[in-house]
Amino acid sequence: MPRTNRNFVFAYTFLVILPLVGLAGILKSGRTLVAPVSIDGVWSLQENTAQLSSLACSKAFAALPGQAIAISQSGRSFVLNFPSDPDVTASGTLDGTTLRASVIPPHAPTSENSCGRELSLQATVGRNADSTWLAGTLSAVNCPTCSAVEFHAQRQAPAAARGGH
Amino acid sequence: MPNLFTLVLQITVILAVCRLMGSLFRKFHQPRVVGEMFAGILLGPSLLGWIAPQFSAYLFPPSSLGFLNALSQVGVVIFMFLVGLGIDPRELKQQSHAAVMVSHVSITAPFVLASLLALFLYPRLSDDSVSFTNFALFMGAAMSVTAFPVLARILVERDMMKSALGNVAIASAAVDDVTGWCILAYIVVLIRAAHQTTSIWVTLGGILLFALIMIYGVRFLLRGLERTFQKYGEISENRMAFLLLLALASALCTERLGIHLLFGSFLMGAIMPKEPKFVRYILDRFETVTITLLLPLFFAFTGLHTNVGLLKGPAMWFYCGLIILVAAAGKLGGSMAAARLSGMPWREAAGLGTLMNTRGLMGLVILDIGLDIKIISPALFSMMVVMALVTTFMAVPLLDLICPSGALGPSPQKAGVAEVSFQEIA
Repeated sequence: MPRTNRNFVFAYTFLVILPLVGLAGILKSGRTLVAPVSIDGVWSLQENTAQLSSLACSKAFAALPGQAIAISQSGRSFVLNFPSDPDVTASGTLDGTTLRASVIPPHAPTSENSCGRELSLQATVGRNADSTWLAGTLSAVNCPTCSAVEFHAQRQAPAAARGGH
Repeated sequence: MPNLFTLVLQITVILAVCRLMGSLFRKFHQPRVVGEMFAGILLGPSLLGWIAPQFSAYLFPPSSLGFLNALSQVGVVIFMFLVGLGIDPRELKQQSHAAVMVSHVSITAPFVLASLLALFLYPRLSDDSVSFTNFALFMGAAMSVTAFPVLARILVERDMMKSALGNVAIASAAVDDVTGWCILAYIVVLIRAAHQTTSIWVTLGGILLFALIMIYGVRFLLRGLERTFQKYGEISENRMAFLLLLALASALCTERLGIHLLFGSFLMGAIMPKEPKFVRYILDRFETVTITLLLPLFFAFTGLHTNVGLLKGPAMWFYCGLIILVAAAGKLGGSMAAARLSGMPWREAAGLGTLMNTRGLMGLVILDIGLDIKIISPALFSMMVVMALVTTFMAVPLLDLICPSGALGPSPQKAGVAEVSFQEIA
């Protein structure tokens, strides 16, 4: 074999074939990695309305637009918005199966007794074979007298064409 | 029905900003496409939506974006046909050792480095609805692509098309793009097959059959078109319409087969006859509307999805910096090392690496597919768009530094059809 060809074969093996073998190893070892739980999608929200109306800060809660929230997830952080009012957005973080976000409804009264405008959302993700849900609480941040409002949300439709397994 | 006033207003603003930014970037010796890509980001939530949210909401109400997207996708379908048209399979067959080495290493190096990076990013920027394998393969495909049209334009502008470096760069970029698109097609098929009732073997069989029909049936028809052009020096409107219909039908077939519209139009372009005058004639008929009207809409739509505001905190910017570093190390470093080992002098090897590192519009098209099939998250999409912009932007200044005018001599070899292609886009 001429020297040039031998060098080419050596370089090709070193720079192409070996890295490809390495790639196979990387893909195999990556299968054991665990990514954050998926919360991306549109969720239909059900609040405890009886509990809501009895609260001192009920107007702040009632200012939340619509009964659906859309979550756009990027790993452990997410952006939350309301399809019925695209002006309202909030960001939050995901820690295990617990998600936390703070929401400021734009149409909420600026002050209501001792109520602030900011709402805090905390929920846990649960899922079984058929559905994924959120169960958690909404609370007014600057309202020591308010108790949290419980809510339940169901993921409306599975996110289309995910990069599935 | 779309609100026509809103749609026309959007198109007007997008075209004006894209032309303005394109011209501005040309003044700094940057390819026009870099300015247009940048204009898209300016019109999105990263700038306009941040400094003037009311105006942004008025100009791009969410209900109107579907129509803008549809128009921009038609533009990308035709653009991919033109990219396929610019790739000459003869260049892939007649490669030197250097071109074979550079083209293969410029795919494997970024692929392996991107997969290593995926080990770090997957638990941080993805979620458990995406498998690691698909995530890593997509990152590899997105990082290994080269902007063939931008590269061709830079070579023409610097009179390097006929140099040995130019020939290797063009051949390697063609191999990279074809390989990158094949890998992406594989990923898309796998992902879509998981949500369909049709067996993946039926899908793969359909794709194979389609490719055979295109290569051995439609290609034969297209040779007739080329003969007509050679005889009369032009092609009638009816035949041009027939050609466009074939490209669209091919796109529809691949979409129906579960790959993506863009693969069909790319394949249609790739199987077209490659006689330079014929290619130039077809490009002249399609380029103007596609490049001046439809592609800016794609840049704007990509910009509307790119939200630099999602990169909150030092950790997210660190991930973004890491992506840029890995992309450049894989593509620029890999191509340079391969070229040097193939006997190219250091200066030329570094120049080749710089050229191969441009991702431009091709990078955006792949990222757009990734976001569409939800294999990458919005924050990762934004980081990858920044990476595509930075790596394209750095090409010209780096080349000025490495290969100043006259530093490289031309070779006697004849350049391919890319020399006559893509006069405007880059």
